[in-house]
Amino acid sequence: MEWLNPYHLQVGSFVLINAILGVSIYVTLSTGQLSLGNAGFMSVGAYAAALLSTQHQVPIPAGILAGSLLAGAAGVLVGIPSLRLSGVYLAIATLGFGEVLRAILINWESLTGGAVGIAAIPQMGRVILAWASDRGFSPGSLGLQNNQFISLTVFLILLLCTILTVAFFLRLSRSRVGRAYAAIRLDERAAEAAGIPITYYKVLAFSQGALLSGFAGALFAHSTSFVSPGDFTYHRAVEILVFAVFGGSEHIFGPVFGAAFLTVVPEALRSISDYRYILYGLLLVLMMVFRPQGVIDPALLRRFRRSGKGTPA
Amino acid sequence: MKRNVRLFAVVACALFAFMFMGAEKARKPAPPKGEPIKAKIGVISIITGQGAAYGEAITNGIKLARDEVNAKGEVLIDLKIEDSSGKQEQALAAAQKLINSEKVVAIIGPTLSNEMFAAGPEANASGVPIMGTSTTAKGIPQIGKFVFRNALPESQAIPAAVGQAVKKYNIKKVALLYGNDDAFTKSGFDTMKEVAEKLKLDIVTIQTFQKGQADYKAQLTKIASLKPDAVFCSALYNEGGVILAQARKMGLKVPFVGGNGFNSPQVIEIAKEAAEGLIVATPWFGEKSDPQVKAFVSKYEKAYGKKPDQFAAQAYDAFYIMTNALRAAGAADRAKLRDSLAATKNFQGVLGKFSFDAERDVVMAPNVLIVKGGKFTIFN
Repeated sequence: MEWLNPYHLQVGSFVLINAILGVSIYVTLSTGQLSLGNAGFMSVGAYAAALLSTQHQVPIPAGILAGSLLAGAAGVLVGIPSLRLSGVYLAIATLGFGEVLRAILINWESLTGGAVGIAAIPQMGRVILAWASDRGFSPGSLGLQNNQFISLTVFLILLLCTILTVAFFLRLSRSRVGRAYAAIRLDERAAEAAGIPITYYKVLAFSQGALLSGFAGALFAHSTSFVSPGDFTYHRAVEILVFAVFGGSEHIFGPVFGAAFLTVVPEALRSISDYRYILYGLLLVLMMVFRPQGVIDPALLRRFRRSGKGTPA
Repeated sequence: MKRNVRLFAVVACALFAFMFMGAEKARKPAPPKGEPIKAKIGVISIITGQGAAYGEAITNGIKLARDEVNAKGEVLIDLKIEDSSGKQEQALAAAQKLINSEKVVAIIGPTLSNEMFAAGPEANASGVPIMGTSTTAKGIPQIGKFVFRNALPESQAIPAAVGQAVKKYNIKKVALLYGNDDAFTKSGFDTMKEVAEKLKLDIVTIQTFQKGQADYKAQLTKIASLKPDAVFCSALYNEGGVILAQARKMGLKVPFVGGNGFNSPQVIEIAKEAAEGLIVATPWFGEKSDPQVKAFVSKYEKAYGKKPDQFAAQAYDAFYIMTNALRAAGAADRAKLRDSLAATKNFQGVLGKFSFDAERDVVMAPNVLIVKGGKFTIFN
């Protein structure tokens, strides 16, 4: 079991969390709304989960659920008034929302610990290991060391969460709701004329995105065991957007691929640490020049599917 | 045409990659004498992004110490330096890499307290000693018994500065000013407030500002109108210098007591003569007449072309503390190293006499400095 390296699993875990964040921005983008508030919603989920588990001893799954729902509710609250806005105006309003939230996190010291943040959040893998050892289980029986077991459980939990999330939204895109989203994105007025209640669907997409961001935030809190307002700045919002821009925002696999690729590249380039972010930037620029729609678009997927059918299995 | 453009892009990328490959060449360690202890020590530092200046000073300090220690030949250290770019998830990934892929015996770093809160628990759970050289926040060594630090926390530095200033200037009424969106300045303020309350000083007002603010006249006007005997200010040097300049211009002439963020020559550069009378407490004072300090400063200047700052000095000492412990442990073993590290007592480094207390936190006496004639001098 030597090959099972916690470092690789750690990077894998961040890939999965970022993939969920990528999906969260994809959902709002799929109705043509550009939101930069996802970092803010992520902080709602992360702080809710962190506070519930550190101060009220709520079990981790319940805390994650509560954090996601709270972020979703915040999404509804922000979504309704900002519906009048579109394009860059919506982007700026949601960006403002994220910054307001961050200012609250900094200033509400009695609850959030201010700029210092919340430390010693129970980490999923360690909690599960402690729980399992109480029942006489030892990772040694699987041929694993403790830290391998911890990283592996975190990775598997996140993998399950990501697969369920992607499956749900894949299914959604082929349903009535998904078609309504697509219609709204292509032409809002035409969609309205065709009888689609655009207010309902836009708020739905917006709060689905918010809920997913909160979910990712809660998972983030329970896998790094520390959160602070510095994690949810404007940079995070842009990073999430870049997942969708790089990977492509027309199909759900686009942002998932973008998240995976852009998380792995800086890690893979660790050996040239001084230059790795230069390369990262160069990559984004080249991308914009040669493939502005993102790496993955429906045309590419169709081509894959066709060539896949052509080759014998 | 299009094909040509693509070909060009590919070639350009390849060229870049080659350029970078040659960038960092490992220095060869000195030949071993007798039976040296060979060990791999990991370093997590900020090499790219915001805060890279701290990371550079830290890695420079460590590399200098590594060259000296390896030249002696009793222990041979192979450094593995990883970038965290100031982000906690990167610091965690770097720690995982050092612990599991590189199999280091110990880790020095990461740079920020926030990063330590993510990387520390992981190292602790894996039984790898980890020592922060600049992590001053509350609760760092309490993460676990494998977590150490040699960075003097603000909770020790500030009381020393405040205590001496209060005694000298007979201070009764104070105003507090701090940056509330930064973990470092915020925890500095918490200590200032605590100390002021303990000394039964009258706190006339508490004012806040945000990172990157350029105009502090609103806060300073309020402070000036209440006529305090002194201002306790927790800020980083770039904001601190501007605050001082604006305060003096407004006629606020009372002494300023600063946190560790003020301990930088940059403050004097920014504030010029307005910096006169600024009082700070710091673990590092480069003008000391101690021969060990002098030797370090001249060696560092020769190697990197500038004077070492506090971060370089702390990292330099940290490496010596680590390798001394390694020698005492007698083998590159993580658990043995932890025990001998915890037993470190009265280590004489460039920062002065250093020990770990029972909680693996710092025991040392800070220097209290005052700005006089355009430079830091010992305050008394």
